[in-house]
Amino acid sequence: MTLNEFAQHFLNALQWGSFYALIALGYSMVYGILMLFNFAHGDIFMAGAYIGLFVALALLSISTTGIIALPNWLVFILTLVLAMIFTSFLGMLVERVAYRPLRDAPRASAAITGLMVGIFLETSNLLFLGASRKTFPPLIEKTVYEIGGVTFTNIKIMIVGLSLILMLALHLFVRKTKWGMAMRAMCYDYVVVPLMGVPMNAIASLTFAIGSALAAVAGILFSIAYPVLEPYMGLLIGWKAFVAAILGGRGSIPGAVLGGFLLGFLEIFVAAFFTSTLRDLIAYSIILLILTFKPHGFFGEPYSARLRL
Amino acid sequence: MKSVFSKVRNTALESTLGRRLWGSVAAIPLMSWLIGALGAFILENLVGYSLALLVGLPGIPAIFGLSHLGALIGALLKGVSGYAEVISSLMLFLGTLVYDLVIYIIPTYILARLSVPLVEKFLSLIPARFYTLLHLAVFYGALHLWSYQDDYRLLVVRFIGIAIMLTVSLNLVNGYMGEFSCAHGGFMAVGAYVSSVIMVWGFVQDDVFGPPVLPPALAPIAFPIVLIIGGLASSLTALAVAIPSFRTRGDYLAIITLAFTFIVKSAIENMEVIGGPRGFMNQPKLAGLPWVFIWTVLCLVVIYNYVNSTYGKATCAVRDNETAAEVMTVDTRRIKVIAFLTSAFWAGVAGGLFAHVVGYINPATFGIMKSAEVLAMLYLGGLNSITGSIVGAVLFQLLSEILRPLKLVKWVVIPILLITVMIFRPMGLMGFREIRPQFLRPKKEVKYAPASD
Amino acid sequence: MPLLQIRNLTHFFGGLRAVYNFRTEIEPGELRGLIGPNGAGKTTIFNLVTGIYKPTKGEIIFNGTNLVGLRPNQITALGIGRTFQNLRLWRYLTALDHVKIAFHSKIHYGLTGAFFRTKRCQEEEEEIEEKARELLRMMGIEQYADYVVTGLPYGIQRKVEMARALATEPKLLLLDEPTAGMSPAEMMETMEIIEKIRDELGLAIWLIEHRMKLVMTLCETIQVLDFGEIIAEGPPEEIKSNPRVIKAYLGEEVTV
Repeated sequence: MTLNEFAQHFLNALQWGSFYALIALGYSMVYGILMLFNFAHGDIFMAGAYIGLFVALALLSISTTGIIALPNWLVFILTLVLAMIFTSFLGMLVERVAYRPLRDAPRASAAITGLMVGIFLETSNLLFLGASRKTFPPLIEKTVYEIGGVTFTNIKIMIVGLSLILMLALHLFVRKTKWGMAMRAMCYDYVVVPLMGVPMNAIASLTFAIGSALAAVAGILFSIAYPVLEPYMGLLIGWKAFVAAILGGRGSIPGAVLGGFLLGFLEIFVAAFFTSTLRDLIAYSIILLILTFKPHGFFGEPYSARLRL
Repeated sequence: MKSVFSKVRNTALESTLGRRLWGSVAAIPLMSWLIGALGAFILENLVGYSLALLVGLPGIPAIFGLSHLGALIGALLKGVSGYAEVISSLMLFLGTLVYDLVIYIIPTYILARLSVPLVEKFLSLIPARFYTLLHLAVFYGALHLWSYQDDYRLLVVRFIGIAIMLTVSLNLVNGYMGEFSCAHGGFMAVGAYVSSVIMVWGFVQDDVFGPPVLPPALAPIAFPIVLIIGGLASSLTALAVAIPSFRTRGDYLAIITLAFTFIVKSAIENMEVIGGPRGFMNQPKLAGLPWVFIWTVLCLVVIYNYVNSTYGKATCAVRDNETAAEVMTVDTRRIKVIAFLTSAFWAGVAGGLFAHVVGYINPATFGIMKSAEVLAMLYLGGLNSITGSIVGAVLFQLLSEILRPLKLVKWVVIPILLITVMIFRPMGLMGFREIRPQFLRPKKEVKYAPASD
Repeated sequence: MPLLQIRNLTHFFGGLRAVYNFRTEIEPGELRGLIGPNGAGKTTIFNLVTGIYKPTKGEIIFNGTNLVGLRPNQITALGIGRTFQNLRLWRYLTALDHVKIAFHSKIHYGLTGAFFRTKRCQEEEEEIEEKARELLRMMGIEQYADYVVTGLPYGIQRKVEMARALATEPKLLLLDEPTAGMSPAEMMETMEIIEKIRDELGLAIWLIEHRMKLVMTLCETIQVLDFGEIIAEGPPEEIKSNPRVIKAYLGEEVTV
């Protein structure tokens, strides 16, 4: 493996790690606060990508018809922001409809409604948009740089950079703001904190909004890297990000990031060293082993600490 | 024998009208119903086809004409644009209603009522320990008569049997032990592939495995043994999930089961000899109705006995409080291993049956969506209830049948229905309750104290 | 030879010293109390004895067997039953099931029996059911046998727990605050039950309790624990007047 090859794999791993981490954060936050699996999250990622697609197309058509001429980078930023907003509304809606009525029900029941919401989103998409795949417009022109024999594209750097910035922003939000503190408190005690005047429903909505916004970013970045969209694109990546979230330790933000990148590296480098068909087999066997010997992930706490059924 | 079902708690039935209706129905012993159904199916055999033509159906309705209901809904959804379609599907739907009434409902009810004294006399002559067997025999007779009139029926009935096995066996882990396993697709795959490979290698002329090693005439005899081997292989792989369960539970274990599903799927895709991602075919289609029926009943009986024995009830103790279970002399590791391995065994057998019903399998069949489907059936029916699992599996399959004409819209309607059920009955339709025919066990009603806290 | 002998028992949670150099000897048929302020390490000692925690150091010998390193189910099967401070009942099971499951280690029909409900299984089940009902009768809660425990009154739940502990057929019964949360009348009843158990079944009983009245009337010997260490030991009259005990419970006047 030459240096350049290694660097390519490394960058790919970082890129995939970013996708996984952004989605895993959504899982982890919802988990931390409401203690439920949001199995619809992978499909919110998909929805985010589609919303991004439509926003981008709309903006581009405004731009080309000449009402206001927007440069591509501005279209990209606007797409990102608008898609984040719309997707967070979708996330809040999902919470309101499928999770809030089940808050006192067994967690597994909520997991099932989540699964069903996911299937609902996929099928409705298929029904309304048809089975044909959609292509994401190239908003960012691809440029290849070379430093010391290592080539890389601006897109990869942008994806990784933007993801890291958002993760940092989330970290600061959770650590430094009043709302962030309320969220952390809720993580700590689900039952008592609402009694202290923290608005449970608002926090739940906020959590879903933030998680969905991050998923939307992941969806758009993913569509820029791999510009083909289809209704089931969120299925596998969603399940995998879920694995990443738990691998890091449920409900832990640094854990989700670490888990996401670990999964990205595992998958890319397994595919690099062995054949790519063995990727899942080896990567998930390693994860199974990790969880066998480190049963609570990297940042998780033992199960007994917070048990709610 | 006055009432066949021990008291059922159901708020809907507590209204007077409901109670009176239920009373007249419950006064008829189960055996009479079965005999009534048997009679109705004989009637269908004789005059079904002509009646179907008479009421304007193209042939005898496959599954009680349920799909015509879906077609009607579909036509209505299209609205005004499909005016002619609404009329024609409405006609078909009304036709099936008449057919169902004349062929199934009325004859069954009349025969059931008429046979009550006879049945009671007959049952009183027979030792009670044969009751279950007798009921099963009559039930199978009716089922056989009904199914063999139509290939599609035969297929659906066998799929329902397999779905019941999957749901009940998943209930052991998810319901009785309170874990959240998503690995059932994986276990099913192991059983399906192992049994398929043995059958094809042993009894079929195949491109990869060459001529049959054993005389093909032996295949039907070897089939059950091969299914058991498939189940045992599946059990063996379940150790990969059972051993981590000693140290962790809940979400982390859910991930382990998820990883397990990915691993199994990927492993099969990488084995060229069994077709890799293209799948594996040529299985002899040996899983006829009798076999599926026998295995389903066996699965139900074994799991029912287990969870109702003091030994097996320790599984519930592990769920409700593991530490307390351990301190009360329960070997929790052993209980976990038993639950996972038993559950995987039956999933493997179900997978083997599936492979030999369809005659073709591929790894995509057993992916995460298969697990999700079984989970949906389980939670629809309700945890910790054998009857719940049966209800969940049958209902889900029938629902699929009703919505089949809607094609894609089916997968919009099913999620909405399931979410609604979950919101209004978070424990599922039958969670933590059993309906048990009285003859099975001296009745012992579980009571709930009025909530005091 | 004493029934239970504990020597040098020490346990750390991370850097926190929960139990230090604890020792005790319990004779068959003895009724011994363990008291001390909250957080003194009493329940930790019970958890160490029953194998829920592994001690950092020390020996626990029961009937000649060293219990250190055994799993809780093995320890209970040797003859140590216990109840929990905060009831640990199985929320979806009936009172009768609770007691039956506690016979787990004495079931011989095994998996085949359970799967196929063999004749042997049926006989054993009947036997277990009979014994379980007998225990419920002894606790005076037979009429609740088929009720799911969740929703039963608290006092009944406590009794279910005690019946369940007795079903493990212990030689030594550990009771962790058996009257916590009970009314005075219920407490009197529990005291009677404890004495009855001891007299009828000949068990040794070791109990943690905060209610001095109960401890002082029932126990023959009392050990007082503070910050994981024994600060006093002796018959009730002695403990009552021990200055260190009074200090531990009431605190010391702070001189500025």
